[in-house]
Amino acid sequence: MSYNYEELSFDEARDLLRQWRESNERRSEEVVELWLTILSDGLDKIGNEKHVLLEQVIFAALDCHCYSVANNCIAILSNEFPGSLRVKRYQAARLEAEEKYTEAVMLLDKIVRADETNSAVYKRMIAIRKARGEIKQAIEDLVDYLKKFISDVEAWQELCELYLQMQDYSRAAYCAEELILHQPHNHLMHQRLADIRYTMGGIENMELAKSYYCQALKLNPDNMRALLGLFLTTNNLLNHYKSSGNSSKRKEVWKLCQWAQSQATKRQQAARAAPAAPGLSQMMLALAITE
Amino acid sequence: MVELLLDPNIRLWVFLPIVIITFLVGIVRHYVSIILSSQKKIELIQVQDSQVMIRARLLRENGKYLPRQSFAMRRHWFNNEETGYFKVQKRAATSQNPMTDPGMMTDMLKGNVTNVLPMIVIGGWINWMFSGFLTTKVPFPLTLRFKPMLQRGVELTHLDASWVSSASWYFLNVFGLRTIYALVLGENNAADQSKIMQEQMSGAAMAMPPDPKAAFKAEWEALEITEHKWALANVEADLLTTEK
Repeated sequence: MSYNYEELSFDEARDLLRQWRESNERRSEEVVELWLTILSDGLDKIGNEKHVLLEQVIFAALDCHCYSVANNCIAILSNEFPGSLRVKRYQAARLEAEEKYTEAVMLLDKIVRADETNSAVYKRMIAIRKARGEIKQAIEDLVDYLKKFISDVEAWQELCELYLQMQDYSRAAYCAEELILHQPHNHLMHQRLADIRYTMGGIENMELAKSYYCQALKLNPDNMRALLGLFLTTNNLLNHYKSSGNSSKRKEVWKLCQWAQSQATKRQQAARAAPAAPGLSQMMLALAITE
Repeated sequence: MVELLLDPNIRLWVFLPIVIITFLVGIVRHYVSIILSSQKKIELIQVQDSQVMIRARLLRENGKYLPRQSFAMRRHWFNNEETGYFKVQKRAATSQNPMTDPGMMTDMLKGNVTNVLPMIVIGGWINWMFSGFLTTKVPFPLTLRFKPMLQRGVELTHLDASWVSSASWYFLNVFGLRTIYALVLGENNAADQSKIMQEQMSGAAMAMPPDPKAAFKAEWEALEITEHKWALANVEADLLTTEK
């Protein structure tokens, strides 16, 4: 989907921005471009949507490091809402984008003192810690945050990733389990826990990894990573059962291993046989100027 | 039976003014309530409680996807006799009497000022100003039961029930202008009455149940009797049979 941005009318540009806002598309460069070329002149024509749109432009501008644009928008908003916490958050975001972390944290602290239920602000503070490379501190803060907002899925996910960075696998597994509690039908969550269990090693963890890879495959048969993971896990288990001589279990795992292998080869053959070239050549044909 | 004829002046000076007055009052009320409305301050402890409740519920519902040990660990965290969250957290039972909470009082007062007061004042004024007029006639026959509803202020026993008196016309307008308000002021306006009733209902459901202590106890019980049934026990066999 591409637009010739210069040719859009004012209303079209506004509708486009609204569409991106509602579908959570980031598209920062396009937003800034649209803002500069079309929308910034007719701010008063926008009406009720004005403030949300300004917010969108601020974040887009910070993404592209267009600080002057962001500053302008923030100035408009802070003139209109002096003392608003939300506007203060934009200022903090600008400081953050400029990597003035100390000042940003000071500002965020102020916001938290005014409104201690503002979860987004806590998250920003943790993100700053992470950006500064203070992973340990970030983890501590995040655990503190989770004590208050215990069913925040995003926070659990972030904590899981931080623990993985620290190679603290058992805690990461705990967080991954928490993610499964919140989203039991997302195959990626099961796959992630299985990955962690596989990395931890040991028979029990391998068994668990096997189960979770299977669950991920059950939820989404196209999950190649889970398929290969299952293959590796079952191979690992086979070695173990061979030495410990547990024949019934060994047979089971053997079957699973065979199945994973055959599925994987099937998928690979399909991918190889898939006519990638004709699609491309047809597209080229469509592009070509025919007499 | 002789058909009644209404003076055209009644249309001009009674029927239309009542419509316009009720409409304008609704608009004014919308803006006054915007001015008076205060954002509800949420306590951190309330947020925390409701989040804990969500997690406990999720553990009950989706705990089957976790290994038995992990499930037991989490339940232990909630329910342990000495250290469990539901046992340790002591919340003071919130006062049931709204009169003791000044915030609640002002909210109630604001609600009264914007809703009940204009109703009484304008209603009374209309009753006094336009009393005793028949304003319009509904184009279908009605039974006698409708007389007190449609002919408030005109107590004539022999009058056909389909005639509408001025006071009743006012009430019909108050309740019937909702769609017009939605058209003029947008969806979420404060002009009509039924909206406010709804808000009161959903507001109660959205916040924590009034007494966290009781809610904790109920959740503790529910969690205590939850049995762990490992959902992935047969997943390998399932996979092999279905995905041949």
